[in-house]
Amino acid sequence: MDTMQIEGREIPLDKEGYLRNLEDWSPAVAEQLASTEGVELTESHWEVIRLLQDFYREFELSPAMRPLVKYVGQQLGADKGRSIYLMQLFPPSPAKVASKIAGLPKPTNCL
Amino acid sequence: MAKHILALCRQAPYGNALAREGLEAVLAAAAMEQTPELLFLRDGVFQLLGSQEPASIEQKSLLRNLQALPMFGVETIHVCESSLRERGIDAKQLEIPGAEIELVADTGEFIRGFDTVLSF
Amino acid sequence: MTLHIVSKSPFSSNALADCVGTFGDDDALLLIEDGIYALSGDIPESLAAGPVYCLEADAEARGLQIPENIRAIDDAGWVSLCAEHKPIVSWFR
Repeated sequence: MDTMQIEGREIPLDKEGYLRNLEDWSPAVAEQLASTEGVELTESHWEVIRLLQDFYREFELSPAMRPLVKYVGQQLGADKGRSIYLMQLFPPSPAKVASKIAGLPKPTNCL
Repeated sequence: MAKHILALCRQAPYGNALAREGLEAVLAAAAMEQTPELLFLRDGVFQLLGSQEPASIEQKSLLRNLQALPMFGVETIHVCESSLRERGIDAKQLEIPGAEIELVADTGEFIRGFDTVLSF
Repeated sequence: MTLHIVSKSPFSSNALADCVGTFGDDDALLLIEDGIYALSGDIPESLAAGPVYCLEADAEARGLQIPENIRAIDDAGWVSLCAEHKPIVSWFR
């Protein structure tokens, strides 16, 4: 099984690098997952990550691109609820990359 | 022009996997910009009942997933009126915030308005 | 006009009952696989408002007589029915 080492813990990952257990997530884990995706986290990233976690708590699923854009638009304003904005933060596939960093499962309906 | 697709949801939420599989098909189609309309009928209306707590049987909440439908562009949920009546359910007990619940009296006529019907 | 296809026995599944509940005036009903068991007992009398078809091979296989008011068809007939109707609703459970 794939794992990542951090803060003296060994955290299980699925074969695509998503956390197997959401409870293993911490900001430090996010930093490390982000670096494997080549993303350096800024406050703009964190607000989307927190929002994704809210989405997951509310709906118990990871959003595909379309609902992610809509949710971000509703919560953070129309200027951020655009695919191009999310694409710049989490290239090349914002729904997948941001879900991974947020510790969520891969969006099930994201092909 | 996009095809007019209807997903027919007629299974109760937790007794078998069909209700969940149906919803996953709907969400996948919606994510691909092929948003279907949904019609809940017969035991399918039980999927919409508020206050489901399936953690007690170690299942994920189908209702929570259904509540994501408006995020996926599904803004109207069609529900068979007589199926509700048969089961003693008031439309007020159905909880999908952000979506409009529309009661359908003549399901046969409603179904005939679609090109493709997926049945779950 | 909708073509309704039922593949489960009415004695073990709600498929036929659910289907009949949504039946429109010009709709057609096709019984296949275990849906054929609808031909047994008293059910054929009250089946549906429109034409009722059944897949002959499935009825033969199960040893069921096809009543006169039910139209027996083969696979080619099934294909024609599908071409003539829209939408098609499969009541498979």
